Amino acid sequence: MLVLSRKIGETIWIGEDVEIIISEVKGEQVKIGIRAPRRIEVVRGELRKDISVCNTEAVIKNLDLLKNKL
Amino acid sequence: MNIKTAYMGEVEINEESILNFDHGIPGFEEEKQFVLLPIEENSIFQILQSVQTEDLAFIITSPFGVISNYNFDLDEATVHSLEIKDEKEVAVFAIVSLKETLEKSSVNLKAPIVLNSTLKKAKQVILDNENYAIRHQISFESVKG
Repeated sequence: MLVLSRKIGETIWIGEDVEIIISEVKGEQVKIGIRAPRRIEVVRGELRKDISVCNTEAVIKNLDLLKNKL
Repeated sequence: MNIKTAYMGEVEINEESILNFDHGIPGFEEEKQFVLLPIEENSIFQILQSVQTEDLAFIITSPFGVISNYNFDLDEATVHSLEIKDEKEVAVFAIVSLKETLEKSSVNLKAPIVLNSTLKKAKQVILDNENYAIRHQISFESVKG
């Protein structure tokens, strides 16, 4: 993984059209601004993780429940 | 072509019916191809079966059957990546998490699967909407279809 040190107000460009701006640092919290085309999805890591866990739980282990009910 | 499935043995599928998930789905990023298989006639549920992994299958249903006024705006990232030209070619499914009982089972309304039914391109979209839960309890009415 590439790790860069940045100060408040400094930016990072990813490719030609995504700009990341460090806008505020307060204790353990960092505020990050992201300027990107709308076709690029921006999702918080923990939300993506939750979806990933939920998908893993949803893998079918047993179909009997549905077959009995329907 | 024939594929091996988790619950229906080996089945013959039409290659044109394969749904392409270019980036997989969260947790299964390497799974790029799925097919929809019926469970039983008239069931509100279908199986989303991986083409490459026999043991990997999900149950999906229509989110509109779970919440009748379910709706969201298609974001530009989805429209772009699925090359959606017309709303009419869009189909939406929700993944069901089946537990020991239906009462304990849930459906993921926060991250529906959006399909371009013309191009057979699909992705699991994470909605920026507080009203929809990742584990929405299935009400019994909705299960009866």
